[in-house]
Amino acid sequence: MTDLAARDAAEPTPLEGVIKGEVLRMYQEVADRPDQEFHFFHGREAAEMFGYERDWLDRAPGGAVASFAGVGNPHLRSRLQAGETVLDLGSGAGLDSIIAGWQVGPAGRVLGVDLNPHMCAKAEAHAALAGGVMECRSGAMEDVPLPDASVDVVISNGVINLSFRKRRVIGELYRVLKPGGRVSIADIVSAKQLSHSIVNDPKLWAS
Amino acid sequence: MFTLFDHAGFTRVKSAVVPGFRFRKASTQDSAEAFGVKAVMMTAQKP
Repeated sequence: MTDLAARDAAEPTPLEGVIKGEVLRMYQEVADRPDQEFHFFHGREAAEMFGYERDWLDRAPGGAVASFAGVGNPHLRSRLQAGETVLDLGSGAGLDSIIAGWQVGPAGRVLGVDLNPHMCAKAEAHAALAGGVMECRSGAMEDVPLPDASVDVVISNGVINLSFRKRRVIGELYRVLKPGGRVSIADIVSAKQLSHSIVNDPKLWAS
Repeated sequence: MFTLFDHAGFTRVKSAVVPGFRFRKASTQDSAEAFGVKAVMMTAQKP
């Protein structure tokens, strides 16, 4: 399977800033106005579609569930163990971090990274409401603000496809993982080369 | 993306299509299908 990942730019391009702005705007809107209809499924409807346990969705704060905008269920294969340190790359409103926190327990640690500092604050508040602790750091997935070999597992849900520099993102995941560390992600890929009109349309990147 | 995990040094790289994933709007879903856009689950391990 091929996708845009194999053709990513090595360095930021002017278009990247425009697209990041559009992506931030779109996901902020999902968080602020989850009652709206978007062209992707979101909220509880999406989470149930991807097999999230109903018990999780009942226990998690309503705001975290309503703003869920993932594309799959990284928990199905994450095999999280008590005491592990988890990175939730692109943690958004925090639903996946909260679920990860329940799995690693009080001896574990959940670290979120999100480009939007407002979303980080929201995710941490949601995690606190759920009775857990999540530390969210505002930063780019191309420069993950964590030390080398510091996490056991990386989870991510519908985020890496939003990067122009996927090669660098994957390299960052490798860098922050401890030896033997694992990745469990859900994301969007394309089997065909997308046209320039699609690749250069900020609104479609935020789709 | 599968290839990038492989090239980064990850092992045990596996992927599977997310069952049931679709876009809400039919027009978006039609375009996605035309370009082979799909949601996948991926797992990998750092040696």
